[in-house]
Amino acid sequence: MISLIEPLQMKDSLGDDGILFVRNDGIFDTMVKTPLLVASMIIVAALLPIQSSFSSPRDLDLIIYPDGTTHVSTEIDIDPLLTDYELNLFGNTIDNLVVIGDDEFLLDTVVIDDFALIQTFGSSIISIEYDIHDLVSKQGRLWTFSLDSSSDFTLLLPKNSAIVGMTNLPINMEIINEQNQLTLSSGQTEIDYFFSSNSISNPIRNTNTENDYFRYVIIIVVPIILLISTVIILRTKQKNQKPIDQVNTIQKNEILEIETIFKIKPDLREDDKELVKFIFNNGGEVLESDLRKKFLQPRTTMWRAVKRLEREGLITIEKKDLQNLIKLRKNMENES
Amino acid sequence: MKKLALLTIFILILGTMSTSMINPVHAQNDPSILLRIAVQADKQILNQLDKKYGTQIPNNIQILYDKGHASVKSLDESLPDNVKQAKKDFLSSMDSFMQISRIMSQSSSDKLIVVTVYKKSNTDLTSEIDRLENYVKTIETISKKSNIDVKNDFVKIHNLIQELRNQINDQNVINNDLVGQIKIILDSIKNQISESSSKHQSNFIKQFFGKLLDKIEKQLTNAPDDNIDQIQIDRGYELILEIRDLLSKNQINSAKIVYSELKELMKNIGY
Repeated sequence: MISLIEPLQMKDSLGDDGILFVRNDGIFDTMVKTPLLVASMIIVAALLPIQSSFSSPRDLDLIIYPDGTTHVSTEIDIDPLLTDYELNLFGNTIDNLVVIGDDEFLLDTVVIDDFALIQTFGSSIISIEYDIHDLVSKQGRLWTFSLDSSSDFTLLLPKNSAIVGMTNLPINMEIINEQNQLTLSSGQTEIDYFFSSNSISNPIRNTNTENDYFRYVIIIVVPIILLISTVIILRTKQKNQKPIDQVNTIQKNEILEIETIFKIKPDLREDDKELVKFIFNNGGEVLESDLRKKFLQPRTTMWRAVKRLEREGLITIEKKDLQNLIKLRKNMENES
Repeated sequence: MKKLALLTIFILILGTMSTSMINPVHAQNDPSILLRIAVQADKQILNQLDKKYGTQIPNNIQILYDKGHASVKSLDESLPDNVKQAKKDFLSSMDSFMQISRIMSQSSSDKLIVVTVYKKSNTDLTSEIDRLENYVKTIETISKKSNIDVKNDFVKIHNLIQELRNQINDQNVINNDLVGQIKIILDSIKNQISESSSKHQSNFIKQFFGKLLDKIEKQLTNAPDDNIDQIQIDRGYELILEIRDLLSKNQINSAKIVYSELKELMKNIGY
């Protein structure tokens, strides 16, 4: 009986002795490149959620007043389908609690011991601010800050305070208004400090070494340059490339003059105008952290201001190296 | 083209991995920070020891100080090449200095004071007024956003705060009646803001409830397949109807209360 289904390559692949010969010139593509491509895609796909979880805006900033009371401000990503959210307040002596949802409206909150039950009703990000008396104790002249945090946080110490002991390594340190601000990792932290009018308690000055810049150049800039180079090569091949100078000129011209921006948005708040001016003078883009440093604002306040400008259609917010890059929009006039 | 695709994927992976590597690198950002903190602590401790004991430093404290100071020196030598050792030295020096400062504090006549108690001792009233003023400013910003007319109330509050500051400067006492007055006005403003924002957000909340109730309704539709008691299912439908009715009448707060009951019911039947 003759088989109705005959393998397509049967005639080519069967030799004189009936041995099965298979064409092997596509094997490399099929067995090496395809799995490599798939594996690469899987790695990229697996790493992307890690990236996005790193960039999720969860901030915790603490400011210690000279009397030891601590001001806490935090921003939390929450599930917009939840009706309420339970927040650990780090203690139960809470004053001046304010919880703001999307659109900067007050959210109803009930404090039960050291928890706050917040009625979020669809908010995706909430900002919380309060003062707490439980985090700092004092014995003699020694002040001790103690916190068990589930996330990394910043801590602004009072003026003229000098650290004399701490239980874990700081991630970073900056000077803000002549005060030391530490960035600390999650977990139990204890910091002892004294107050002193002595000059040695002056803030510790930052002096970044060239090595750090070099490390950043290797880790961040090199891959970016590689990527840009690839794009440029691709475009050259397609013969669609515009000279770089021309591209830059077009980009500069696309950003409106500052007076024009203010004419388009006459109701802009004065502090927002200052932000826009700073971004404009900085070539149309700036990191949110630079705005915070320039205007000496806490994260939450600056974040709200930036979101306000975004809602006004003046800026766009992009992620760059785990930071928010604020860019003035180029086509405002057309939209207004 | 395949080569280009492979190159692009390689760069993508490199780019993605390098940014995820930033965190540990950032965690060690500028290790010289450790040295600066440790040196400052060393100087501060030495200063305190000099003030308290002069040349008569107790032996146990001297041993601890020597250990801490040696760790600071080692930390200085470890940088910038041996960051791992530098971290160990930092923690060791800070531990020694912490122990010294605690021994010195315990030996003083003062007992441990929690800030809440300290606050009542009126030794830093300015901080309290600063915090109150910050809180007032936050509420003022929110009230502007909520378009409620409370300008006069804030003028009154700012005057009261100024009066408080003057009293602190003149007599170093805080007038709790004035603080009480400020808090009463603030509570009234907050109530107005809540009312205004709840009106403003009613559409937003209605949309939110709409999505949520649709989801619950679907769950209730499938509930008989999961052998859920029909009485409970019917009660669920009743509550959904009630919430929708309340929302249509703009009674948001009542809808919230009924929703809590619905949520409890759904929890009880295993959803």
